[in-house]
Amino acid sequence: MSKNVTQLHRRQFLKTSLSASAVFAAPMIIPSSALGLDGAVPPSERVVVGGIGIGNRGTYDLGCFLEQKDVQFVAVCDIKEKQRIAIKKRADDHNKNENCATYRDFRELLDRKDIDAVLIATGPNWHCTAAMQAAKAGKDMYCEKPCTKNIAQSVILKDTIRRTGRVFQAGTQRRNLPHFAFACELARTGKLGKLKKVFAHPAGMQAMMSGWLIPETEPNAEVVDWNLYLGPAAWRPFNAKLLDGFNFEKGGGLVGGGVLEWGSHCVDLCQWAVNDVPAPIEYDPPKNGQLVARYADGVELIFRETGWIPLGSCPVRFEGETGWVETGDSGKLVLSSPTLLAGRTVAEIAEYPATFHVRDFLDCVKSRSQPKGNAEAACNAHIACHAANIALHLGRQVKLDPKTNEFINDEQANRLRSEALREPWRL
Amino acid sequence: MNFTRRIASALIPFALILFSQVSSVRADGPATSPEKEAELISILTSEAPASEKAIACKNLAIYGSGKAVPELAKLLSNEQLSSWSRIALEAIPGSEADEALRTAVGNLQGLLLVGTINSIGVRRDTSAVDLLAARLQDPDSEVASAAAVALGRIGSPAAAKSLQNVLAASPAKVRSAVAEGCVLCAERFQADGLETESIALYDFVRKADVPEQRILEATRGAILARKKNGIPLLLEQFKSPNKGMFNIALSTAREFPGNDIDEALATELARATTDAPDRAALIVTAMADRPNTVVLPAILKAAKAGPKQVRTSALEALGRVGNTTCLSTLLESGIETDPAISQTAKKALAELPGESIDKEIVARLAKPDPKLYVLLIELIGNRRIDALPTLLKAVDNSDKSIRSAALTSLGNTVPADKLSVLIKQVVTPKTADDAPLAQQALKTACVRMPDRDACSTELAAALERAPVPTKIALLKILGAVSGTKALQTIGVAAKNNDPQLQDVASELLGDWMTIDAAPVLLDLAKNAPAEKFQIRAMRGYIKVARQFTMSEPERIEMCKLATEAAQRIPEKKLVVEVLKRYPSLETLKMAVKAYQNPELKEDAAAAALVIAQKIADKSPEARELLGSIELNKVKLEIIKAEYGSGASQKDVTEILQKQATDTPLISLSTASYNEAFGGDPAPNAAKQLKVQYKINDKPADVSLPENALIILPMPKEKK
Repeated sequence: MSKNVTQLHRRQFLKTSLSASAVFAAPMIIPSSALGLDGAVPPSERVVVGGIGIGNRGTYDLGCFLEQKDVQFVAVCDIKEKQRIAIKKRADDHNKNENCATYRDFRELLDRKDIDAVLIATGPNWHCTAAMQAAKAGKDMYCEKPCTKNIAQSVILKDTIRRTGRVFQAGTQRRNLPHFAFACELARTGKLGKLKKVFAHPAGMQAMMSGWLIPETEPNAEVVDWNLYLGPAAWRPFNAKLLDGFNFEKGGGLVGGGVLEWGSHCVDLCQWAVNDVPAPIEYDPPKNGQLVARYADGVELIFRETGWIPLGSCPVRFEGETGWVETGDSGKLVLSSPTLLAGRTVAEIAEYPATFHVRDFLDCVKSRSQPKGNAEAACNAHIACHAANIALHLGRQVKLDPKTNEFINDEQANRLRSEALREPWRL
Repeated sequence: MNFTRRIASALIPFALILFSQVSSVRADGPATSPEKEAELISILTSEAPASEKAIACKNLAIYGSGKAVPELAKLLSNEQLSSWSRIALEAIPGSEADEALRTAVGNLQGLLLVGTINSIGVRRDTSAVDLLAARLQDPDSEVASAAAVALGRIGSPAAAKSLQNVLAASPAKVRSAVAEGCVLCAERFQADGLETESIALYDFVRKADVPEQRILEATRGAILARKKNGIPLLLEQFKSPNKGMFNIALSTAREFPGNDIDEALATELARATTDAPDRAALIVTAMADRPNTVVLPAILKAAKAGPKQVRTSALEALGRVGNTTCLSTLLESGIETDPAISQTAKKALAELPGESIDKEIVARLAKPDPKLYVLLIELIGNRRIDALPTLLKAVDNSDKSIRSAALTSLGNTVPADKLSVLIKQVVTPKTADDAPLAQQALKTACVRMPDRDACSTELAAALERAPVPTKIALLKILGAVSGTKALQTIGVAAKNNDPQLQDVASELLGDWMTIDAAPVLLDLAKNAPAEKFQIRAMRGYIKVARQFTMSEPERIEMCKLATEAAQRIPEKKLVVEVLKRYPSLETLKMAVKAYQNPELKEDAAAAALVIAQKIADKSPEARELLGSIELNKVKLEIIKAEYGSGASQKDVTEILQKQATDTPLISLSTASYNEAFGGDPAPNAAKQLKVQYKINDKPADVSLPENALIILPMPKEKK
């Protein structure tokens, strides 16, 4: 390791302080106190929330929502009876009542006028379609990632969020973690010199598809509603193994894998580092464990499996002409030079739950500002992942027009930009 | 099996498969390929199972042309395969697919009809406008709604007209979709330069009896489509009693182009501050979200006086968009007694951009207003302003609050060549109370020093003359600094006669974050003055081998040295864990060697199994090495075993049952699955061996890639 490398261990960081807030751009919010949040929250300031598809990740997200004093969680929808019961119990225990309503069909939940926002934590198959339905129903939404299954969905989702005026927060919570924010800030503000390369870790650079498995006896819809579980995905018979929403039909059932699963986090951070410009315009096929994409200004976005400093999962690295920074989920930062701190100490929180990302969302629900994981930013990152997956899938270079998000003179790649939804679903 | 069959087989997995393994889908040429297409079409015309036809549809989305359309179209009425068929039909260019979808509209009903209409919308088939318009009055509200949105996606004047014609008379269930279609058309008009038509359509929806969300969308569109002339309509929404309208005004104001809107927002802020302070607070944030054109005086005025919620919002906004003209207001607010006001102002002061702010703060400190002195000193640190003489003067002040602020700011700003001033504060603090703060400040300063070794040299020198409690603090700071000199200094301290120093130093070394700590740790593991510190150092050494990036020979060497130096079984077991984590022939050999130690037998056997399974395909010696290990006896029952890919599976249950013994390892007659199982069930496809089994009556299953060593994992205990 370079002698000039400075490592900042989490324990070495100061606790969150005024100085930390000086480093990171603060979310554009009204102070909570101004909204009456420093004590009891008046009903007019509460955000009434419903949950859609609350499994493992969703349960964690839900905990983050319930921690917020101004959240009133009133309803859960899940295609699994077991989850409906479990989440209702959790909400009712928290709310000290028995009022959390349960739904099998999320459209009934969206019909409720009293619900302001929804937490969408279904499997990836549903994310975009449910988010579109929520936006059209006038709900703001916190939507887990990957948010879209293909490029066309990404474009339509961000257009719809803009058109409907809704607040959208992707579950890209690392945008609200100080060490990632700091690293991106260094890259974005020229502290590393002219930016040359940004690196993302796809954690499994392979396109995947979920399958048509051996048919099993379909459960009673009240127990598991298979039809609603499939939702926009092309039909296939019930098989309990497909109920693992995590792997089911992400990336349109044709492409996905680590490039999308982890890319929606680490590519998202790379996008932030390059100032959330449109996705790269060229994507080479993978070579020696690396897939290189290029932005319009020549900066390279490199998906690479190995060569990382051991800084935990979801590592990113940004290299400029005069310096570099690397960080990951460990919360540690490695810098080419301590001078990159510009005399500042990076404050770090002891743990990094997504609570702050949720808070960012809730504040924006009230202020109508754009949260860190807004639709425009998230969808651009997703487009980069989808395009990389298409290059991976086709085994050759593809070129993307950043204005139209279509591949240039490449019908084969363009045919992979979108995929029909099963009836009756549409975007 | 022909080429296409191979693709299809590979794509119908029993479980998740890796698509990248299917090299046959690679194609560099044009999208369509007559040969591939013909083979895919032949699947659709055959008696192949639905699963194969589904995947054929999917591949036709890439390789299909108009020739595939007739067979695909036949599937539109198939409840299982309609959606698969439309995947291809949506993607295949040309009029054939459009015609097929339009024809199907006349033959289908219910959900299948809805899906087909949705696909027409995706393809934006202008020839379908009349057909869709007719469906707007379909008795099935789902069909009518689908037609409305499809017309919106097409977005032609004719489509818009058809939607306008039916909006008022549409049933409530359909009206929202018709309005959605209108908004989509209006958006398209705007993009195509048809501004008048766009505005008219937005206004039409705004005034219609449609759900509120559609009105919000139309209102936003109507404002933006009018450009500058849309500002009055936007301001009207700020006065609306409807929260949704107010909110859409806030978001639309943020995206409104030009700077005319900023003046309008400033005027609106003044009105709302009096009439609706809660709303005024939100308007301030919207104004600040337009940093390039914001009317700053309006926000400054709001920050100075008025309702608290407006002031805090304005103070926060100044932190983002303010300049030197805002400094006095922020400073005065920063010392107000109301913490909501003062904290927001302090945060804004720290964030306020620009070097001119720094200069102004330093200038004010030349003749500080006593009530602002502490705040100004704090700002020196928070803003990293170079003002050392000022801080050095303040650190000697008799007032503790001023000294504290100065120490903290020194930590944030002291340059490398003046580090000694902080070291002095640590070694000889002005009062005992100042010591913790001075230590924290020194740590803050040291971790940002550009030359770590130079910094550590200064700290090491101070260490010599400091009392033990201060030595401990300095050692911890050295640990935070890290680097060669710090490592060396802490290594020496770990062998000091003082047990307190041994304790702190060995703990710091155990947590060291660079690989160069390894030799120091190994030395300490052998030579530390107390056994507990030897153990700690040994564990630290093993941790380096486990976690850090290094070459395989380096890691093997570390493991060997650790095995030799470790005195106790628990540490030797940790070494075995490292071996297991990095499978190679060498680590397998070491695991087999460790197996000779009776106390490591169980762990070493488990590690050897894991390693062998991962390397067996590349290292034939692995099987041989594994033979020297006596595996734990288990009761093994093979329930079911299949080998193959997708739908092409071969039942190999009996073969495995015959080979099963009383260990989790199953040896086949040959390393090749194809040979051992009597043939290749899916040539050229990535195959898996899936085994359902019971070990000690507990069920489990495993999926192994072709030719992997068959080691059945122990079933997980249920929690």
